This record gives sequence, structure tokens and C-alpha cells, in this order.
Amino acid sequence: MLVMHGFWLAEAGLCLWAEDSELLVKSSSQAYRSARPHPFAAKQATLDGIHAGKPGEVTLLLPSLRSAPLDSPELIRTPPRPPAQSASALLPWIVPVSCLDPVAALAVLSERAPGIRYGASISYLADLAEFAGELVTRGRVLPALVRDSEGAVASWRPVLSGPDVVAVHALTRAMPPVCRAVPGQDDPVELVGAALAAMVDAIARGELGAGPGLLPPRRGRRPERLSAIEAWLEALSAPEGRFDADPAELDALAGELATWEGVGRGQTGPARATFRLTEAGETAASETGASETGASETGAGETGAGEEQSAQAQDEPAGPAATGSRWVLDFLLQSASDPSLLVPAAQAWSDDGSLSRWLANPRELLLTELGRASRVYPELADGLRQPRPCGLELDADGAYRFLAAVAPALDEAGFGVLLPSWWDRRRKLGLTASASTPVDGVVAKASKFGKDQLMDFRWQLAVGDDTLTDAEIAMLAQAKAPLVRLRGQWVAVDPEQLRRGLEFLTRQPSARKSATEILALAAAHPDDLGTPLPVTTVAADGWLGELLDGGVPQFLQPLPASTQFRATLRPYQQRGLSWLSFLATLGLGACLADDMGLGKTVQLLALETALRAENPAAGPTLLLCPMSLVGNWEREAAKFAPELRVYAHHGPQRLRGPALADQLNDADLVLSTYATATRDIDELAETHWHRVVLDEAQAIKNSLSQAARAVKRLGAGHRVALTGTPVENRLAELWSIMDFLNPGLLGSSQQFRTRYAIPVERHGQTEPARRLRAVTRPYVLRRLKTDPAIIDDLPEKIEIKQYCQLTGEQASLYQAVVDDMMERIENTDGIERRGNVLAAMAKLKQVCDHPALLLHDRSAIGSRSGKVIRLEEILEEILAEGDKVLCFTQFTEFAEMLLPHLSARFGTNAGYLHGGMPRARRDELVTSFQSDEGPPIFLLSLKAGGTGLNLTAANHVIHLDRWWNPAVENQATDRAFRIGQKRNVQVRKFVCTGTLEEKIDEMIEEKKALADLVISDGESWLTDLSTQDLRKVFELSKDAVSE
Amino acid sequence: MSSGWYPPPARPRAVEGGLKARTARGAIGQTWWSERFVSVLEHIGLGNRLERGRNYARRGQVISLDVAAGLVSALVQGSRSRPYRVRIGIRAFGKAEWAKLEAGLAGSAWYAAKLLAGEMPDDIEDVFAVAGLSLFPAAAEELSMDCSCPDYQVPCKHIAAAFYLLAEGFDDDPFTILAWRGRDREDLLAHLQAASPGHQPAADQREQVGQPLAACLESYFSLQAGIPVTSPPVTASDALLGQLPAVSLAVRGRLLPDLLRPAYQAFGAGTASSSAQPAG
Repeated sequence: MLVMHGFWLAEAGLCLWAEDSELLVKSSSQAYRSARPHPFAAKQATLDGIHAGKPGEVTLLLPSLRSAPLDSPELIRTPPRPPAQSASALLPWIVPVSCLDPVAALAVLSERAPGIRYGASISYLADLAEFAGELVTRGRVLPALVRDSEGAVASWRPVLSGPDVVAVHALTRAMPPVCRAVPGQDDPVELVGAALAAMVDAIARGELGAGPGLLPPRRGRRPERLSAIEAWLEALSAPEGRFDADPAELDALAGELATWEGVGRGQTGPARATFRLTEAGETAASETGASETGASETGAGETGAGEEQSAQAQDEPAGPAATGSRWVLDFLLQSASDPSLLVPAAQAWSDDGSLSRWLANPRELLLTELGRASRVYPELADGLRQPRPCGLELDADGAYRFLAAVAPALDEAGFGVLLPSWWDRRRKLGLTASASTPVDGVVAKASKFGKDQLMDFRWQLAVGDDTLTDAEIAMLAQAKAPLVRLRGQWVAVDPEQLRRGLEFLTRQPSARKSATEILALAAAHPDDLGTPLPVTTVAADGWLGELLDGGVPQFLQPLPASTQFRATLRPYQQRGLSWLSFLATLGLGACLADDMGLGKTVQLLALETALRAENPAAGPTLLLCPMSLVGNWEREAAKFAPELRVYAHHGPQRLRGPALADQLNDADLVLSTYATATRDIDELAETHWHRVVLDEAQAIKNSLSQAARAVKRLGAGHRVALTGTPVENRLAELWSIMDFLNPGLLGSSQQFRTRYAIPVERHGQTEPARRLRAVTRPYVLRRLKTDPAIIDDLPEKIEIKQYCQLTGEQASLYQAVVDDMMERIENTDGIERRGNVLAAMAKLKQVCDHPALLLHDRSAIGSRSGKVIRLEEILEEILAEGDKVLCFTQFTEFAEMLLPHLSARFGTNAGYLHGGMPRARRDELVTSFQSDEGPPIFLLSLKAGGTGLNLTAANHVIHLDRWWNPAVENQATDRAFRIGQKRNVQVRKFVCTGTLEEKIDEMIEEKKALADLVISDGESWLTDLSTQDLRKVFELSKDAVSE
Repeated sequence: MSSGWYPPPARPRAVEGGLKARTARGAIGQTWWSERFVSVLEHIGLGNRLERGRNYARRGQVISLDVAAGLVSALVQGSRSRPYRVRIGIRAFGKAEWAKLEAGLAGSAWYAAKLLAGEMPDDIEDVFAVAGLSLFPAAAEELSMDCSCPDYQVPCKHIAAAFYLLAEGFDDDPFTILAWRGRDREDLLAHLQAASPGHQPAADQREQVGQPLAACLESYFSLQAGIPVTSPPVTASDALLGQLPAVSLAVRGRLLPDLLRPAYQAFGAGTASSSAQPAG
């Protein structure tokens, strides 16, 4: 495996190097005082194959033993490297590097190569890049002019002040030491500075690259040589910052720009001015429970200088009279090193030297800070027109302006701001829409619900969730200031907004709207509605209200499956079924996002069965899934819904043209894969599908992928997405799935990013997250296996057969083994024959696991095994749910192959335990797995009987291959499923379709069913089968192979 | 202009490390107070001659410039080997006058606050007017100028160069004007009761953040601390442009902040922070 590491140098950009577990650990050179070639650093050619850049070599100081550097924690070796016997020390090693310029570097940091494990240093640099991107987005950058021996360079530099200084400080402190391992380049402050500068410059240029440039239009022709300032401006948006201009003009430009030199250099003084807004005459009341807006030091306001903290009861709501309220903006000094240390201005003025512990000159500092702040907040001047200013009096207008506009600006400029706590959860003036089912006789008759049902509809003014009475509206309208006390709480009301809101109400008299219109209104973003005030709630009664509130599954009668369905649905599955058919009736796209193991497949098959029972003439449903799941769907459909006519459209022999069209007409359920559907999209899009279902819908999480674009071309009466992880990594994935289900619901992907993804993911804002939940709630049903409502419905142990398909390579290898072994079996008898049968089975099982197990070629895992492909898909879901998993295999070699592969694939450690391990090591591994920080994946290759392993941290068990001995398998399973296990355990047994695995599995199931016969001796009964029967067992059926 | 008997102008000698004028184009003063100073000079008839000093100042011919109470003294390198000595005198206010001024200034923390923040308070001239004084020279007679060069024109280009740099000095530190009038920063602040002796400790007290590498062997490849989630204040992406010190750069009549505004708006609307971080 390869583990990629990186560091950033001002002159070289992002330097990538890697450890390669395939290389010999020890250096052949003993000259440990001088730098030696790193023995297991990836070769230049290997690096180039992954992230090609400027090749080079650097010396790195790495923790080492005499003969070799230590491994990074991300590097997994099989067998593991013996633990170090001697102490480690820093030694220099020469390492090949690939150096990427900032543009290429940003691309690598945001989009990594598959199959490579990336060390913490890369994640760290990615965090830096993300921070740099955020600075640019917020406009915290300034253009600069850099002069060097070759001429002039126009560049963008970061502007760091206030909270950003704190953030950079935290980033600097967090730097992994390996990022500063180049001798002489070990100052994290400089390294972070250089990296941020380069990243900010590249990102800002990238943003401007496509734009029209910064130069105002000129009349006449462009001169041969631009003036320095024009050339500089032009270079600021060009891909390269270097430009040419007259040296004297450059001097002048540099002179002018020097004024901006000092802005945002990230320096913080020993203290800063802090402004605290309180209501005059109420300093001791609850309103002063100030909270700080800045993210840097939370809670600083509460600890304050220790005064003014009595939390008294809310005083009486004062009504309109209070609109003439007075506010005070207190000036304080806040220590930079200890933000909880707040000194009121009065104390600074009268300081007798007691502040000198941390401030040499508090008066002068306070004055300087106030002077600086007056630049951001000019009205501050009024408060400074006295010898010893302690604060500024504000009327309600001024207070409102301070809260709304000044405070964020001061915060950003590096000053502290303490605002009343109600401001953060303040209630704003908005509109509510309410819809109700009409009670007049005319409509009541058409009681059947539907998209076109008309409902009474009206707009109202509201503050927060409280709809305003006419009296309250009148009171607000009379108020002279934007801060008004209403129902005991402050409300910010802009009179102009209120006026427009009232006007809107008169323009939009109560009317009727269709359910569709109301749903669209509820989903719309306030910016798109064109209402003068934000719409805070859209409420409705009846089914529509339940739909909006996400109460539909409880509201509807659970739907028992139709009689044609051959399984009993659990209560929550019945609710899921009724929810699906309800949304289907309305033609609304539905995302069933139950946790894995809760039976999404069964619910969907029940939906299809019910539909076909009710409407036999319904057109076909198209279901797309990953290749690895086609066999699974076929088998589950055959088992639970045998009356469904299923056609699997995949493989090289799949139908086309008229033959395909005929087949589609005869099918109820058409199964296909994302890859096939993307390829055949022109033909598939010609059919109007009754329904299109995406299983493992995260397959279209990237909205730009071909698959995502293809599926959106499919016309369907109803769309369903099945996924256990609707948001695997990023909210954008949710957008892609929702845009398939209900196109346009969440706006364009760009709008979605700015409205939801960035505020929620980057800034952890709760309001957009709340809104997003509300908007998607009608269309997403997600039940967790830990839900109390579900957990009682669930059996303690869910056993699932996971059907996989062989790859082409596996199939031909399988066939060769069968041919060879059958010949041997035919020509032998007695013990020898028995031995051959068992050997044949072992080999075939190995082929089903992975071709390399038979070939012993130590080649890459790649996508050569259907089981490994499916394993990766399942692990991805398990890890996304934060669960832990045990993976059993009989083959040590398979486990050792999977160990580095899975570690790299999931960027996490995996545990590995095999039969040959000493007891102490085993216990150590078990303890580590059981701990919260332990690895989420545990590979075991042993007959797990009687070893007393307690692995209850896992709630998933995967049997990668079969013992065909329930006792042995159950014993293994019971490692996880034990007394003390509070969660339900899901057990998956991997079976390759069309191979001996499936056939033996069927035989056992039949025998169990027929005679309740427990085959306790595993495989040996197979040796008694006749050669003819054996051939049937071993033979490869035609549906065994994937594409 | 040159008379027959006077030697033709010689090229001035180059100066290593001279005080170069920052502004190599356009007008000098970037701030209202240095602008005001220059306009006073122009008003009292020195304006045109100042032009002559500009090239000198830009080329860095001024070796040193000292501002003391009532007197600016400068060394300016001309064509001769020995630099010329330039002196510009102004009336320094006396104790009583300053007491009046300081009483006026101390009445409002505004003045000290602005001065300390690097700005001349925009209404400071009112305080001087109340005391019957003027911050800036009101007439040519208030200024005495003198240069050791043989040029008989006053001001000569050496004096002009010194004026030029003086105005720039005012830009950088408004206390300079007051110092010229007789109160240096320390005294003034002390008198305003807003200062005590001693400077601020250096603002940039850089904390030692980089542990020696040898001390981090155990966690060499790992993060050394958590990276907190930040929630930066929400302001418009072009808010910074409104908070910058003024510059007089412009292209075709549009000032630099306005030229840059579209870029900042593009940043705000853009995709800069979209860099994805896929797992693994």
C-alpha cells in the first residue's frame, strides 16, 4: 500500500512523498550521520503515476531507528513490522518528492486519488486550503505588489484579523511535525504563512479568471505598454501574477499601496477593545446575559469582569412606550491571552497601576483602540467627546443599527463584541402561510386527496412562530424604532419591512391554492419567493399538514402487504410501504433512507407487488443498482414477489432495439446497473417508466457524473431513491439525489451550495440546517436501527445473504479449476477422491474470494473480485453509520490482502487477528477494537471457537466465505452477538451466485427445511456425492458473471 | 533661468539609502491633514516651487529629516560632495499656549484616540482656533527657510524636497505636526493624562508554537491539536474595501476600491471554498 504525505514550501508549493509498504524496510547504508535514501519511500515514477508534478528530492528529518525510518501510523504492513527494540531518534532521509504548484496542489487536496491512503499531513493541508478558500469567499484578502529581482508580481494576500487570527493560530499549533521536517524549514508560523499566501492567491485568481477583469473600459486603442497600476490590476486576475511595467511607476504604485501594508497582518496586541450593548437602566437585568458573537472565545462574556451577572426575572413587557428605550454601548478592554479578563473603561481610566500585570499602558491602549474602532464605526465619535468616555448612548435606532450592521464589522476588524443574548435567537418579522381544507360543501365532496386538491389559503404576519394579532400589528406600526418589545421579548422590526408586509397582505387576499402550490411554497427558499418578508412557516391541516411535518408515516394506516407478497412486513416496514404508496399517489419523489439492514428491498418489492395487484396494466418499473446487487435483487424478487415479471438488463448479451422493447412490455420490474443504464440511456429513456427506482442512490451523489446526468433523463410517473446514507460526506450529495426525485425542489446546485452546504458544513450554522430538514422532510423517510420505535420491531439478529457475482477473471479461473479437478475426481476413488473433492472445494472458494488467492501473484486487489467490490460498498455504509464490523474469512492470505487495501480505501486502521497469534497480542487487539477509538473494521481468519473473544463493539458480522457449518458460523457470529450487546446485530453471509457457494447454500436450506436436519459436519458430506452430482454443484451457471 | 555667470546645473550625486518619497506620482498628501499642509504651502505662494523638490525627494536625495520643536532640519545631497543643510523653521507655541491647547484637547478623548490611531482628528483646527492659534502656518512669514546650497531661490529644490518628505511624514504620523509646533507625542499624551511614561510592549508577542521536532517523535505524523470549526461573522464580501485607509490610486477616474469591488463581489458569489474533502 501507499501512504501519501505532504508539506508546503514557499518556493516549491505542495511537496508530496509517500511510503510504500512493498519496499524493503531497511536501508543498505549504515552512514546514519548523513542523509541516506529513504528505504521505503515511494519511487519517483510511482509518485508521478499518482500526482505528477515537478520531480525532486528533499531531505526530511524523520523519527528513525538506525537502519530505517519508523512507519507512519497510516502504513499497514502484512506481516506487521516488529516493534522497535531501541529508542528512536530524528535522522535525515532523502525522499523523492513531487512538487505541485498551488493550482495543482489545491486540486489534489480537494480530490484525492483512489486506493491511496493519505496521511494526516495531507488532511491538515486540505484544512488549510479550505480556510484559504473561506478567506477568499468572505473577501478577507487584499491585492499586493511584490517586487523581486526579476520584476514585479501582483498577488492576493490573506487579511487576518479578529477571529481569523485565532483560527490561524489554532491551525499553526495543529501542524503535524512531519509538515516541517525539512531542515531549516521548521517554523510552523512561517510555513502556514507561506502556504496560506500561496493558496489564497491561487484561489482568488481562480475566482477571477473567467471574469471580465478589473480594468474599466477604455476609449480608443490599448497602449503598447500599460501604466503600472493597469498592468498590476490586469495581473491580479490573470493566471500568472508577474507583469511588466515602468520601474519608476512601479515605485510609485508600491508607495501608494504601502498604506495597505499593515492591514490584516494577523498581529494581536496584548488587549483589544470590546463593545458591550446593554439596555440602559437594565444593566442588572437578565438582558445583560451577554453572549459573544465572535467564535473565538465563547463564554467570555459570561465570565466578564464578574459584575452585572445577576439573572433576574424578565421585567414586564412594556408595550409601545418602550420603543423609546435607551441603550448603552459599554467600552471595555479584553486581554488577548485571557479573553475572560474584561476591564471596563472606567477602570482603565482610573487605573492606579494594578492593571500593569498585563497592560503596560491601559489608557493609551484603550484610546488607540477606540480611535481605530471609530474608523469602522464613525458614530463612535459621539461617545468619545468627553474626557474619559466609558460608553456610548444609543437610541433604539442606533442599537438596532449596531446589532445588525456594526457588530459584525467590528468583530471582523478584530474588536470584541458582546451582544444581548436574545439577539442570537431573536425573533424576526415574517410571514406565515396557512392552508386548510375547505369546509364548504362544494369541495368537501371531492374528499379524495391529491395534488390538485384546493385548499383555503391565507397569509399572516408573524414574529418567530407567533402569528400577530391586529392589535399587535397596530402597535408595531405605531412604534417609532426598530426594536420593539412584544410579548415580553425584544423584536427587531424594520418599519419599512412592516409597511411592505402589510401592503403584501392587502394585495394577497385569502384565496385557494392547490396542494402542489402549497408544497412548492413550503420548499421554496425565501430568496426565491419574492415576498417582502421571509416566510417563516407554511402550515396546513389534514394530510398536507402531516406531509409537511413529516408525520405521514404515523398519520397513515400501516399498509399490510398484498396477499401476493410472500413475506410478513414488520410494523415499521408497513409504515414505510404506506408512506411510499402515499407519495406515489401524489407523484412525489420519495427517498427511503432507512439504515442498512432494515429491509429497504422488501419494502420496495412490497410496493411493486401492491401496485401490480391493483393495476395490472401499469407499465414497467426500472430499478438501477450497482452491478454487485443485481443478483441480490433477482433472488429477493423471486423469493418474496414471485409474481413480478423481472428482467435483468445487463451484461454483454443484453437485449437491444425491438427485442428490448418487447421484453420491456412484458416486464414488471426491469433491473439494470448504473453503468449499463448510462451506456443505454438513449434506449431506456424512450420508455415512459411507471417508476424509476435508484438503489444505493448515493451512486449519483456527484451531480456532474455521467450516471447522475443519465438517470435524470429517464421519464417516470414516480421516482424512488433507496439509500442507507443519504448524506455520505457532503450535503451536495443530498442535493443530487433530491434533484433526481423532485427536480428543482432545492434550487440549482449553486444556490444549494450558498444557501445550505457552505453555511451548514463550513460554519455549523443551525438555521440553514433546520430549514433544509424542514424542506426535505416530506420526501425523506429515515429510520435508524437505534430508533426506539424500530428497535422493538427488530429481531436481535438479522441474517442476510449477500449475493455477489464473479468478475470475468474469476469466472474463467473458476471454470479452469472445475475442469481440472473434475478430471482428477473422476480418475480417483476412496480417500484420494475425498481429498480431491475437498481440495476442489477449497480452490473454488478461494476463486470466489479473489483470483489472487489461487494465483498467489500478490498483485493488486483492484476490482478483480465481486465479493471485494460488494464488501467495499457495505463497509462504506457501515462506517458511515459509525458502526463497527467483524469480517471472517477462512483464508489468512485473503485477510492479509484485505488489510492494507481496506485501510487505504477507507483511510482508517483495521484490526487483524489470526489463529497463529500469541494470546497476549490477541487480547491487546481485542481491547483496542472494543475501545471507542479502536479500528472500526476487524478482520479475523480463524475458526473462532472457544477462544473467548469478546467483540461486542461490533454490530455487524460479515462472513466473506462459508464454512457451511451453522455451528461454526454461529460461533463466529456470537463473538459480536453476546450477552451485553445492546444493539441488534446484522449478519451477512457472502454467496457468489451461480457457483458452488450458492448451490451448497440452497442444499443446506432445503435439507433444513425438509427434515430440520442440521448438518453439523460442514463439508464432508459433500464428498459422498456422486461425481455427477458434484459436477452439478461445482458447475458455473450462466448468471454467475458480472459485466 | 540660469544667468550667464552661474555654472549650469550639475547632476546631483546619488545617495545610498536616502529617504525616498513614497509617492512617485501625483499629489503628495494622502490624508486630509497633509493635503491641508500642502494647500497651505500653495496658498502662501510656495506651491509651484515645491514641484522642483519632488524629483529630488523621489530619487532619495534626502539623507535625513528631523522634526523638533519649531525646526525641521534635513540633510539633502546635491551635486556637491557635501550634502546641503536645510532648515525649516516655524513658530513653536509656548508653554502657556500649549496649556490652553491641551485643556481643549483633554476635554474630549476623541482627539487622543484619533491621534493614537494614526489620524489627525478632523476638527482639531477648531481647538487651535479657540486658543487663538493655528495648527498650520497661515502666512509665508510664519515659515523661515534656509539652505546651505548656493542657489539663491527660496525655496530651493533641496528645501522643497524636505517639505515634500515632511508632508509624507505627517501622513504617517500626525503627531509629527504637533511635535513641530512644540509638543512631542510623549509629552502631549502625558499632559493629556492619557499616557504614562514608556511605550507599549511590542504588539506582536509571538508565542512559541513550534515544539522542537525532537520532542514530537511520538506523534510525528499526527495533528498536534484539534482544528476548531470556525463561524466567521457574516458581512458582505466587499466589506473590507470600506474599512481600508484611503489611497489615491485610480484608473480613468475610478478609485482603486471601486476598481476592486467587482472582484470582491465575485469572491462572495464564487465557489472558492468548494474544495471537497472526500473520505479516504
